[in-house]
Amino acid sequence: MGGTGAERRRAGWRLAWPAGLALAACSGSQSALDPAGSEAERVAQLFWVMLIGTGVIWSLVIGAAVYAARVRPGPHDPAISRRLIHWGGIGLPVLALTALLAYGLQLMPELRAAGDGLKIEVSGEQWWWRVRYQTADGRSIVSANEIRLPAGERVELTLASPDVIHSLWIPNLAGKVDMIPGRVNRLVLEPTRTGNFRGVCAEFCGASHALMAFAVVVVTRPEFEQWLSQEAAAATGASSAELRRGAVLFEQVGCGGCHAIRGTAAAGTIGPDLTHLASRRTLAAGILPNEPAALRRWIAAADTIKPGVRMPSFGMLPAADLDAIVAYLASLE
Amino acid sequence: MAAERALQTAGGLWTLIVSPTVWAVHFTLCYAVAAVYCAKAGGGQAADLLPVRAWIAAVTVAALAIILWSGHRALRQWSAGAVDPPHDAATLADRRRFFGLATLLLAGLSCVATIYVALPALFIGDCR
Amino acid sequence: MTASADDAALDQARQQAQAARLRQVWATPGGWRYWSAVNNSEVGLWYTATAFVFLLFAGLLGLLIRVQLAVPDNDVLSAELYNQVFTLHGTVMMFLFAVPVFEAFSILILPEMLAARDLPFPRLSAFGYWCFLIGGLFVCGSIFFNAAPDGGWFMYPPLTTDLEQSGIGADIWLLGLSFIEVASIAAAVELIVGVLKCRPPGMRINLIPLYGWYVLVVAGMILFAFPPLIAGDILFELERLLDWPFFDPARGGDPLLWQHLFWIFGHPEVYIVFLPAIALLAMIIPTFAQTPIFGYSWIVLAAVGTGFLSFGLWVHHMYTTGLPAISLGFFSAASVAVAIPTGVQIFVFIATLLVGRATFSVPMLFACGALAIFTLGGLTGVMVALAPFDWQAHDSYFIVAHLHHTLIGGVLFPIIAGIYYFYPFITGRKLSDRLGRWAFWLMFVGFNISFVPMHFTGLRGMPRRIFTYPSGLGWDWLNLVSTIGAFILAAGILVLVLDVLRPKGRQPYVQRNPWRAGTLEWLTEMPGEDWGVRSVPIITSRYPLWDQPDLMRQVDEGRFYLADAEEGRRETLVTSVLDAEPMQCLRVPGNTFLTMAAAGLTGAVFIFATFHWWLATAVSAVLALVAIVAWLWTGTAIIPEKPSKPVGRGLELPLYASGPDSVGWWAMFITMLGDMAAFASLVFGYFFYWTIRPDFPPGPDAGPGVAWPFLALSLILAAWALTLAARRWNRQGLSQNLQLALPLAALLALAGTAALLAGPWQAGLQPQAAVYPATVWLLAGWTACHVVIGAIMQLYGLARSLAHRLTPAHDIDIRNIALYWHFTALTAVVTVAVLALFPKVA
Repeated sequence: MGGTGAERRRAGWRLAWPAGLALAACSGSQSALDPAGSEAERVAQLFWVMLIGTGVIWSLVIGAAVYAARVRPGPHDPAISRRLIHWGGIGLPVLALTALLAYGLQLMPELRAAGDGLKIEVSGEQWWWRVRYQTADGRSIVSANEIRLPAGERVELTLASPDVIHSLWIPNLAGKVDMIPGRVNRLVLEPTRTGNFRGVCAEFCGASHALMAFAVVVVTRPEFEQWLSQEAAAATGASSAELRRGAVLFEQVGCGGCHAIRGTAAAGTIGPDLTHLASRRTLAAGILPNEPAALRRWIAAADTIKPGVRMPSFGMLPAADLDAIVAYLASLE
Repeated sequence: MAAERALQTAGGLWTLIVSPTVWAVHFTLCYAVAAVYCAKAGGGQAADLLPVRAWIAAVTVAALAIILWSGHRALRQWSAGAVDPPHDAATLADRRRFFGLATLLLAGLSCVATIYVALPALFIGDCR
Repeated sequence: MTASADDAALDQARQQAQAARLRQVWATPGGWRYWSAVNNSEVGLWYTATAFVFLLFAGLLGLLIRVQLAVPDNDVLSAELYNQVFTLHGTVMMFLFAVPVFEAFSILILPEMLAARDLPFPRLSAFGYWCFLIGGLFVCGSIFFNAAPDGGWFMYPPLTTDLEQSGIGADIWLLGLSFIEVASIAAAVELIVGVLKCRPPGMRINLIPLYGWYVLVVAGMILFAFPPLIAGDILFELERLLDWPFFDPARGGDPLLWQHLFWIFGHPEVYIVFLPAIALLAMIIPTFAQTPIFGYSWIVLAAVGTGFLSFGLWVHHMYTTGLPAISLGFFSAASVAVAIPTGVQIFVFIATLLVGRATFSVPMLFACGALAIFTLGGLTGVMVALAPFDWQAHDSYFIVAHLHHTLIGGVLFPIIAGIYYFYPFITGRKLSDRLGRWAFWLMFVGFNISFVPMHFTGLRGMPRRIFTYPSGLGWDWLNLVSTIGAFILAAGILVLVLDVLRPKGRQPYVQRNPWRAGTLEWLTEMPGEDWGVRSVPIITSRYPLWDQPDLMRQVDEGRFYLADAEEGRRETLVTSVLDAEPMQCLRVPGNTFLTMAAAGLTGAVFIFATFHWWLATAVSAVLALVAIVAWLWTGTAIIPEKPSKPVGRGLELPLYASGPDSVGWWAMFITMLGDMAAFASLVFGYFFYWTIRPDFPPGPDAGPGVAWPFLALSLILAAWALTLAARRWNRQGLSQNLQLALPLAALLALAGTAALLAGPWQAGLQPQAAVYPATVWLLAGWTACHVVIGAIMQLYGLARSLAHRLTPAHDIDIRNIALYWHFTALTAVVTVAVLALFPKVA
């Protein structure tokens, strides 16, 4: 079972996340060492400073130990040992740690500063992400498994969860914040450049914790506006007989009980909103490429791809029906 | 005899842990007051921490005073007779010197740790 | 000339007769009775061996994890099985290896380090061991039935309180481990009393071997760290079993309370496993430097300081939960501060090597390897102490790298150094030098290949606890390298295991004190005798074997204390806390199957409860109580046949002591400190809910009222006062008064229990409805349980008095019962104040 699931997933991964991105040592679409946000930049800088310090201190300590045990194991003057404890054990560490603590503490208020206006509510659910954009003019736009951000703005993410604890982590942009049932947390992101990144759930959240990712798309403000207005619109009507058949089947099979497609009768809220499914970069919370073949596999056998998923498998449908539903969903730009 | 016995105990395990205990109490008072304030004070995340910062300053001064007092006593106990470590003779005097030194060192560590715990109040001004 | 020769011959004959008697008294039973042994040398050995079997088992699970992650999209393990495997890997390593191995090792070697014949409560050690074995097998065995816990070793609710998503595995985790935690606390109590009261005469507190200081600190930490987890386990199991909504936000609960309680345990836990390993290094390094530790007081500073600071770090496991930055700041500060004492220890070791003339051998090799690995782990620990960096690193493979550096460098390598060092002490033979070097280099190289790359895997975005990952994110070759390294590390461990297990029958015994060490455990003969030390010496140095000439010969000739066993009883010395002046000749109980039965029955209670077989649970509980009472009745507070006896060198010591002079009183006192820590955790829970919920308590009159709680408090305090009176009357010789007072006190106590529970009952508080009534019931129930146990104790005291086992001169029982009641009275006062008065002022 796991085997088929892995194979099914494997086919899609390379398409969704081009391998070329990861060739350089630190770069990557999911790397804290390739920052694309102001918080990640500051933390990466903190890391490099600490890494150098660590290298120096480690070399000195181990050097001293090797010297004492191997190079010159003869008895030394106790005064040297006393000085070693006073300076190595107390003096220098207190100085270094005080400086480091101050560095860390002064970063915290900066990293937790307020946002500029745009708010996005993200809800972590087993095992996908419900996303709701709250614009300054009071509109509320529902999407799923993909977060689009305008570059250069501080966007406030409101994080919650209806089931178990999740944690939202976009390494290129910022550190992670947990999504805890009964609590609402906040995370402010400030992307500094456009690009495609990947976020994941960082807190163990059950059987398919490993299969809970999402796409992060950072665009310019005008592109963001354009996309948002498109996202706010209802689904375009089915334009051909085959697509209409798919739409009817979608309703008959009961997909609308869980999924919403705005502009149709489907208004379920248990699963992701599918109004603009075809315009998203990935399927099934960042684990499949968004293409008809993958979509078909997902609908036919979701639980072999994502163990424990709440979506039933529809492999029992006639092949032609499945094709029609897939074609319909793939048309939801 | 009773006095000597009291003295023996006084230089013992309990005085050893006075200063780290003060650190622990200081830590608890800082954390509990800040946590309750941020949860209860209203104003949500933007609530100004000024009262909490003043409180932290006050308990820090008090804690440091006790730690310094403990350290001062330990210093006297240790340097009575001004003998260098290791204090490993099987005598009452060396046992007391050892306790004096260990207590003094712990007071030093507690002093640093207490100052560290107070530092966040210098840098962080609201409940975010 | 002939006269002195005759004297010498006579002397020798006397020595041999003494030795024969001692040997017989301390003999380990043969055949199937072997398993009734309670002596520290047997129990310690079983305990250590069992902990190592669990280590190997958890290590295999770790290899399975590495196999699964070797390549992207792997499918060797299913998601379901992988989650069980990583949960069990962490759980077993922490609960069944790292903590128990310290207690096991300490039971094995601490008495010998203190030249004691045994620990003060050998049967308690045996009980602890059997609990550990049963609980450990139960938890580990679950994976073979696909029923292992799968919610992570941290068991965060609500994933793990969801009965559909977490099956019986969660109950196995909660109940199996609670059972083991109780055993750990028992061992901690025993070790504290051992270090404080069972030292050889003259070993003042400035002369204790450093291992003893660490044992004292670590056991003290266990005493305050484990109870919060037990309190958390109680909340957790009440939610799973009875649907009391402690962690359910819909009914006012909060999942974060579990995280607080778990990590208040979990972070000290890290130091609980790390400090004993450092303690081993503090014994090994002076030996191989052939010089006393340089900076004894500094080590004491570091151990005590770490013990305290480690309780101020727990929220650094919760930096990402959205707490206010100011709160994170305090914990960040303490997490940074704890690096200071840790660094001091490392520099004391280097300073000692500098002062001495270091000789290099396998234990030193492992010690240096430990230093290299641990130092890096400590430095990355400082990195993640800073909240901003941790926000990136948390729950990523960076943390996996960090924690394995600290645990393998700071625990496993020192322990292996300890195995090579102490192996001759245990078996009389050395392990192979050549195989040891092979094992070291395989392990050291393998470890680094496996775990150093994980720092980068984590910062490049790989989260923890994922059963699979896609290719193309830059993790592929890093993971493959880690897996290869893990197998090299495993090969090293295999070499070690082969070396330990290979038959050594033809290998000669080593000479005594093979490493030329300075501490008392090396007085042992090769092979060791069951009595541990031939006679208990007078100590005047930190390194007696170096500084006290001729000590070994004099000990062997029985020139010191307790060289004989005239009455055929097992005896050891009790000395004063600070200056180790001899105070009592303690008779310790001998071999028995009672402890095994008590452990088995207690285990049955937990195991049957896991499967909800309530009748079997109840029957086991009653039988367990019977077994424990039988054990106490026959094995404790025994009235000696004479008040005192000569212990040698003209010293006459009492055979019976009660109150603060007795070890039992100290054990009760220390146990009750742990009990108060658990109670404090529950009270913390109450105020935690008050902090975060505006409707907790719902109103000034929503609780159990004032009348019932105060009636209960009056009755309980009356029971307490009568117990104190009974103690006093008994001392005055008025046994009849005691026999009247105790049953009356028990009646009052039971009436108080009823009144305490009547409060929430009459108020109609439904524990399933919301977190407030559940918390009220919890506090009332906790106190009620304590009062009922107190009543059982009072009736036990009555029975002892009627049976003349508790007399005016021999009053251990009533003094311990009174001590218990002091704490119970305090618990009742706090409970009533919180339940009845706090809603009025809140």
